[in-house]
Amino acid sequence: MESPLHHFEVHTIIPIHIGGLDLSINNAIVAMWVGLAIVAGAFMLVVSRGVNPVPGKLQSVLEVALEFIRSMVYEFIGEEEGKKYVPFIATLFLFILACNLIGLVPGSYTITSQVAVTGAIAVGIFIMTLVIGFGKHGMHFFGILVPPGIPKIMIPLMIPIEIISMLARPISLAVRLFANMTAGHTVLAVLFGLAMTGPLWLGWLPFSFTIVINGLEIAIAFIQAYIFTTLTCVYIGDVIKLH
Amino acid sequence: MPQFEQVSVFGSLIFWSLISFGLLFFILKKFAFPPILEALELREKKIRDDRDDSERLKEEAKKIKEELEATLKSAHGKAETIVQLAQDEAKKFQAKQLQETEAKVRQIQKEAEADIQGSRDKLLQEMRSYTAALTIASTEKFLKKALDDADKKRLVDESIEQVIQELEKSQRN
Repeated sequence: MESPLHHFEVHTIIPIHIGGLDLSINNAIVAMWVGLAIVAGAFMLVVSRGVNPVPGKLQSVLEVALEFIRSMVYEFIGEEEGKKYVPFIATLFLFILACNLIGLVPGSYTITSQVAVTGAIAVGIFIMTLVIGFGKHGMHFFGILVPPGIPKIMIPLMIPIEIISMLARPISLAVRLFANMTAGHTVLAVLFGLAMTGPLWLGWLPFSFTIVINGLEIAIAFIQAYIFTTLTCVYIGDVIKLH
Repeated sequence: MPQFEQVSVFGSLIFWSLISFGLLFFILKKFAFPPILEALELREKKIRDDRDDSERLKEEAKKIKEELEATLKSAHGKAETIVQLAQDEAKKFQAKQLQETEAKVRQIQKEAEADIQGSRDKLLQEMRSYTAALTIASTEKFLKKALDDADKKRLVDESIEQVIQELEKSQRN
């Protein structure tokens, strides 16, 4: 029986080496591009047709998605400040969702199951929140390390705790997405492996489970994209409002 | 786990995913999001405006309805007053007409009575003359003798009186 983790292996398709750096195109990147091309294609199709005041089916779907993300941004960041973050948060949601969903196509790859990728995005968001915080509040941004209303004597204790809590944010963000995607695909691979290796009279049972788990994985793809973007909104909202 | 073992691919995965994310962000922010977000906002604004308009129109309709009801109520009051006045006028006119008619009837009755009285007097006078003549003639014939003037007159008067009394008696009956 093949290892259930086998399909997480990355295979180079087009080797590219620039200055000792490996920038090869591999199956994970191709799958990601396919997912992103579908997203960009859907949006460009609607825009090229002209945004209709009475929306069609595809436009309705995209409007619902954008409206959902916009209301989420306004809720956590505020309408005034949140307006400029809507495109970024929407792109983030669509990026993660597209990568999660494209991975469910058999033979494809889920790039969000790579901790390096989720880590890079999470660290990028963490750095962005720091830039926003310092840009908005200057040195007062350090006030985020002191929760309001705590006694002064507790401050030396609270600052290291807050620093750890801040640093844990990108780690939890990255690990949550990576772990969920990996776990879901591993379960699917194990069940499918069982279905393929077992006799037919027994194999139908794990196979029917793969169908159910696949449906569950679609829901998880949406939920994880939602959680990732919601937490990003919360972090941005925190640095803007300073508690 | 391959995700931790294939460290050599981390560079390309991070590089291409960040580049792809940046490219997607640029394309969507530049070309896709503005028209869709604008359409959303326009639709929201239109819905909000329509809702406000409908609220305003509802208020106006309510106000107009109240005004109409007040006008109707006042018109009802006025109509009742007018009807009351007309009824009063009609009653007065009716009473006046009745009075006039009664007066006229009384006048006609009085005139008729006067006429009747005159006719009666005249008739009586004529009857008196005819009766006198008749009495004289008949008496002369019965007596076959001439009477002097004083007797004539006395006899005539007695006859007349008798005739009158009988007439009156017959009238009363």
